[in-house]
Amino acid sequence: MFNYTIKYTTENTYENPVFESYWQFMVTPETNSSQDLISSSYSVSDDNSIEKSINGYNFETTRIHTKKPFNNLTFEAIFKLNKSEISPIEPNPEFTVEDDYKAIEVLDFKVDFEAFLNATELTALPKVAVKLFEFETSKHILDNVKQLNTWVYDLITFKAGETTEDMLLETVLEKKEGVSSDFVHLFCAIARVNKVPARYVSGYLHQGDGFFGDSEMYAWAEVYIPNLGWIGFDPGNNILADHNHIKVAHGRDYKDCPPLKQIMYAYGEQESKFAVEVNYEQ
Amino acid sequence: MKPTNFKHLFSSYDGNENLFDEIFDKKQNVRKVYQKLFDIYNDQSIEDFINLNNKAKTSFFNQGITFQVYNDEKAQEKIFPFDLFPRIIDGEEWATIEKGVIQRCKALNAFIWDIYHDKNIIKAGLVPMELISSSANYLRQMDNLDPVGGIYNHISGTDLIKHSDGKYYVLEDNIRCPSGVSYVIYNRNALKRSLFGVFNHYDIHTVTDYSENLLEIMESVKPKGVDVPTCVVITPGVFNSAYFEHSYLAKTMGIELVEGRDLVVENDFLYMKTISGLKKVDVVYRRIDDGFLDPLEFKKDSAIGVPGLFSAYKNGNVTLVNAPGTGVADDKAIYTYMPEIIKFYLGEKPILNNVHTYHCSRPTDLKFVLENIHNLVVKPVDEAGGYGISIGNRLTKAEIADVKKVILQNPRKYIAQPIMSLSVHATYIEDCQSFEQRHVDLRTFTLLGQDKEFVLKGGLTRVALKKGNLIVNSSQGGGSKDTWVLKK
Repeated sequence: MFNYTIKYTTENTYENPVFESYWQFMVTPETNSSQDLISSSYSVSDDNSIEKSINGYNFETTRIHTKKPFNNLTFEAIFKLNKSEISPIEPNPEFTVEDDYKAIEVLDFKVDFEAFLNATELTALPKVAVKLFEFETSKHILDNVKQLNTWVYDLITFKAGETTEDMLLETVLEKKEGVSSDFVHLFCAIARVNKVPARYVSGYLHQGDGFFGDSEMYAWAEVYIPNLGWIGFDPGNNILADHNHIKVAHGRDYKDCPPLKQIMYAYGEQESKFAVEVNYEQ
Repeated sequence: MKPTNFKHLFSSYDGNENLFDEIFDKKQNVRKVYQKLFDIYNDQSIEDFINLNNKAKTSFFNQGITFQVYNDEKAQEKIFPFDLFPRIIDGEEWATIEKGVIQRCKALNAFIWDIYHDKNIIKAGLVPMELISSSANYLRQMDNLDPVGGIYNHISGTDLIKHSDGKYYVLEDNIRCPSGVSYVIYNRNALKRSLFGVFNHYDIHTVTDYSENLLEIMESVKPKGVDVPTCVVITPGVFNSAYFEHSYLAKTMGIELVEGRDLVVENDFLYMKTISGLKKVDVVYRRIDDGFLDPLEFKKDSAIGVPGLFSAYKNGNVTLVNAPGTGVADDKAIYTYMPEIIKFYLGEKPILNNVHTYHCSRPTDLKFVLENIHNLVVKPVDEAGGYGISIGNRLTKAEIADVKKVILQNPRKYIAQPIMSLSVHATYIEDCQSFEQRHVDLRTFTLLGQDKEFVLKGGLTRVALKKGNLIVNSSQGGGSKDTWVLKK
């Protein structure tokens, strides 16, 4: 069992006063089979009130609606969470390799996982790249996905900073570098063209053991392996998701789960800083 | 005594016998329901009629019943051309239409519920999943969400035509924000003002009860726990082409007409800003497209929506009429599956005809299409805006051979339908100062609520004012007629 404390902060300054604005954060870890949210606390500057809600995809959001002019807004969220160790994953011994591929061809399966089987704008492979990585049907789907994880990790170089999360795969494949979301978009795109459901996960990475990650939120993927269920893969680090991965939300791509959505009417210079701290005691 | 140069309204009427004329039968005799009306009108001189027509036009303009054509550079306000000769639908004929559109709307409602829940019709292999996934109007945020009373399409506009075989066919189902109902009511008012005498000879249903029924439908889907709901109409604003209708409906229902900026969401409840503070809103008739409803959930740059509205809806604290995501069911591709959809959910045969569709992906259909291209319209399934359509009877032999080649290259991509002909109705044409045949269609308005349904007994008869033209949309120079449904 790991006891985590996660701190998410953002500080925003504006040259001219902002008269009205909406902020919707999606930064609260979910509670699931491997993690348990114990407490959460939020604070915001200027006595703005904080509202909690659920978005269209059933994930928790935190909202601020500012009604008084401001030049500076800070927001802080602190979460305490228990995370259990995730045991290594092996193919389900009761099913053969053929069973895997039979399962993904069933109509009900295709319908139930439809959202995570089709390309979105950010997970659309350029035509020339559709056959970049083809699954070997002589191996379990799990083993193919593990290979895909390594393949993506080897192909793309991690480079934080200059890029945004909504980069098209065409650009990512051309530059062969990117941030965690680029790894995940490419990974999901390839799993999906191989008819395996894959989804984008937004969350926090505990940066122990020299992993790549950064001081902002992190992205990895979950793949639905027939006869096993949803399994987390982190192509940015070439590992399976483990106790260091704290999940907030999932979606078809980054656009379904950005940590912050803002609606504001501001002009002039502005600066935004984001920081994430993840600490644990075992 | 009439002057010798008296010109009857119908003296230069040229009936094309290949078309279905609503007034005249094949032998050019006046149909029974129109006889009385025909006699009255034919007794008028052209001069009197021109006078009357001008007065009616001025009245529309003075009341501000206008619309705008968006791609017009000057974006001028235009009046919707109105014709003083009404269309009459016999009571028996109407009864079938009414049953038919209700059946269709209920089937569509059941279909939408299924698409956003178990997707049984897809799992049964009747409708392909790709049609749904590829639809821009499929809103995954609606998955497993249960609207009050299970109703999605509270308001539907069903477009019908009468083919040359004298039968009604459905051309389109409009279940997003169908407009046009205000014209129905104003057409009736204008005709009553101009020619009140003609109403003495016919026993016809009123159309002015639409608003009270709409309000009842809205109230019937109020959120749980609300006793007397506060209802509003939300409009994108005065620059919207249908703003007149939005304001008309709010006014006649006696409820507020609001814009996004008049509303605010707090803790998942919707409020309207009033001079005495915030007032909770329970039911919203929204005339804003899905994508613009809530910038926090959908299009971020929507300035006409309300941030947080979707969460309020999802939490069951406010009802949106129509529900978001209904557009998934009114697309061209889904239309072709309507007979299957009606059978699957209601176990009934369709009362109203669908234009028969041949799917070239099916071998027997493909064979038929290839042999009968000259009698068919061939359309690609995935293109909008009329691209790639071939109308068989206008093609040369060489062109037919080309179309066959194209279909054979990718049969899955093509459907074919018989060439439909819209019925014609005598319509006053200003340029010729006489009555001529013009193609017409009929938009009906259906309301579904909790344990309540309503079809407006009348509808919008749209007229293609250009000779031979089949396009009746107002943006394409279409006009309209008052539509009388006779009491049985």
